Amino acid sequence: MEETLKIITGQGFWSPLLWLAAALGILLLAFFLWSRGRREYKRGTEQELPFLSGERAEDPRVGASHLYWGFVEALKPFLNGLRDWHSGVITDYVGWFVVILVVVLLLVL
Amino acid sequence: MSVHAPILAIAVPLLGGFAAPLLARIHRKVRDLWVLLVVFFSGACVGYVAAHILSSGIWVYVLGARNPQETLAPGGFPIRIMLTVDAMSAFMGLIAGFLALVAFPFALKYIPEEEGKTLALTLSLLLLAGILGLAYTGDLFNFFVFLEVTSIAACGIIGFRTWISRAPEAAFKTMVLFSLSGLFFLLASAFLYGEYGALNLAYLSAQIKGTLVDKLALALFLAGLIMKVAAAPVHFWAPDAYGEAPAAKTLLLVVNTQVSLYGLWRVLFTLYGGALSAGVGWLVTSLGLLTMVVAAFMALVQVDLGRLVAYGAVSQIGYMMLGVGVGLVTLAGRPDYGFVAMKGGIFHMLNDALTVGLLFLCVGAVEWTKGTRDLRELGGLGHGLPGVALCFLLASLALAGIPPLNGFASKILIYEGSFRLSPILAAVAVLASILLLAVFARAFHGAFLGPRAEVKEGLPWVFLLSMGALAVGILVLGLVPGFFVEELVAPAAKALWHGRALYLAAVLGG
Repeated sequence: MEETLKIITGQGFWSPLLWLAAALGILLLAFFLWSRGRREYKRGTEQELPFLSGERAEDPRVGASHLYWGFVEALKPFLNGLRDWHSGVITDYVGWFVVILVVVLLLVL
Repeated sequence: MSVHAPILAIAVPLLGGFAAPLLARIHRKVRDLWVLLVVFFSGACVGYVAAHILSSGIWVYVLGARNPQETLAPGGFPIRIMLTVDAMSAFMGLIAGFLALVAFPFALKYIPEEEGKTLALTLSLLLLAGILGLAYTGDLFNFFVFLEVTSIAACGIIGFRTWISRAPEAAFKTMVLFSLSGLFFLLASAFLYGEYGALNLAYLSAQIKGTLVDKLALALFLAGLIMKVAAAPVHFWAPDAYGEAPAAKTLLLVVNTQVSLYGLWRVLFTLYGGALSAGVGWLVTSLGLLTMVVAAFMALVQVDLGRLVAYGAVSQIGYMMLGVGVGLVTLAGRPDYGFVAMKGGIFHMLNDALTVGLLFLCVGAVEWTKGTRDLRELGGLGHGLPGVALCFLLASLALAGIPPLNGFASKILIYEGSFRLSPILAAVAVLASILLLAVFARAFHGAFLGPRAEVKEGLPWVFLLSMGALAVGILVLGLVPGFFVEELVAPAAKALWHGRALYLAAVLGG
């Protein structure tokens, strides 16, 4: 029965049920801390309005492309290179196949 | 009839696929019922074969012999067409059977009649037959034949919606690359046939000594199959193909990629297991790392939800290659950690099938509801589609390897096994997982969070049923991984790791 619930990883074991028990304990602790906090939030008041850069917006939808904007911007040269690599041109793709074939031949022979 | 279960699992969807257009002429409902019957029957055969193999060992089925167990023709030579099903083949068959059971009911509601539903169902049944044929066959020529069956059917599924401009283009590119892959496989088989006069996998495995011709054939097998499994840098076809095929049918394309991976393992472990250098293992391991990193970064910049999930699916191929690659590197010494990594890689095939399958079904449900998959136009769907949102979240977390879900259970085995070989391998794999978590958090946020969006009413209950089946699978595999690892994964890994001699003995005797 015990083997059903866990897997031996070679250097230890992984038991999801133990993890769940630990996670539950942490959640209970978090709930306790949260319940000791200030109680100023009121539903249905101005406090519920979204606040985007100081502007009140009618349809405040944060597009998916805005997430990680800085991360993507910083990596732009690398990501542009990756995009260029995925050119969509079939002859490029076949070219990479030839590269793999050469690598494999060099390795195996 | 049970004695013929391996061939029935292949033949029924093959013939059933061709019968579907004829039955559609009687009535659409008759066709739908027939398709479901075929898939359920094939699934039952796959389940029976797996149960038999796990209790009794390798099952060899010979076509054209007086009895299906007569492996050697007069003269002691294995010349007939033969299915050789061991625990690894059965494991692959189970994945295909289960995903087919989930995908077909979904597809019956998802694909509109006027968009060539009969054609899509026929091609899908042919693809299923080809996948099961690849998993079960015991000779190289039939492996090539089934490789071609899957290639033609897969390309048909990708491109049959000719009015979508990108679909035929994706199908054309995939067809060119699949044809190259198939031709190289055929050429390699021809080399071995020329040298040894046989195509039977077990017989060839016993003969291969590592001559120049053997090595040339190995290079051709490797190049062809690396292309078919969508490993970087020859993965380009996969995001196009997964992204353009109808979402309900992408599940079978994912299994098609996995069965090619199975083919790669079969060639490396069973066919060349006795004459393989560690360099090949390092090649597989390195390509695995490259695949997971490149695909995760490409997923980060996608704005089409389908293509984003497609890149996520490609990245998971990298984890499987890393796990089994570590096993290949350590094959000569067979240390414990090599086997742990192997189990992780193989377990990840099952987990990937469920998580990526569920993600594609969610993409299908989103497209069915909103008519678009563009993340710039989506948002707020979680209010109207709470079940789909929950399934997407669950599958995303599982794919990113967040405990206690199934993706983590297989990844922890891969991390620990590969760490013992080189900590760098495990570090790159963990970083790629973190990146994938960021990618799918963005996808979930973009599609499901935000102010309520209008959605098309009446999401078919069968959509939720199919998604629910995969979600339950993810939870069960995550919460009781030990049972599946011990009962399914370990026998499959052992069949590759230690089982070569048994495989040869089952066919050649002795």
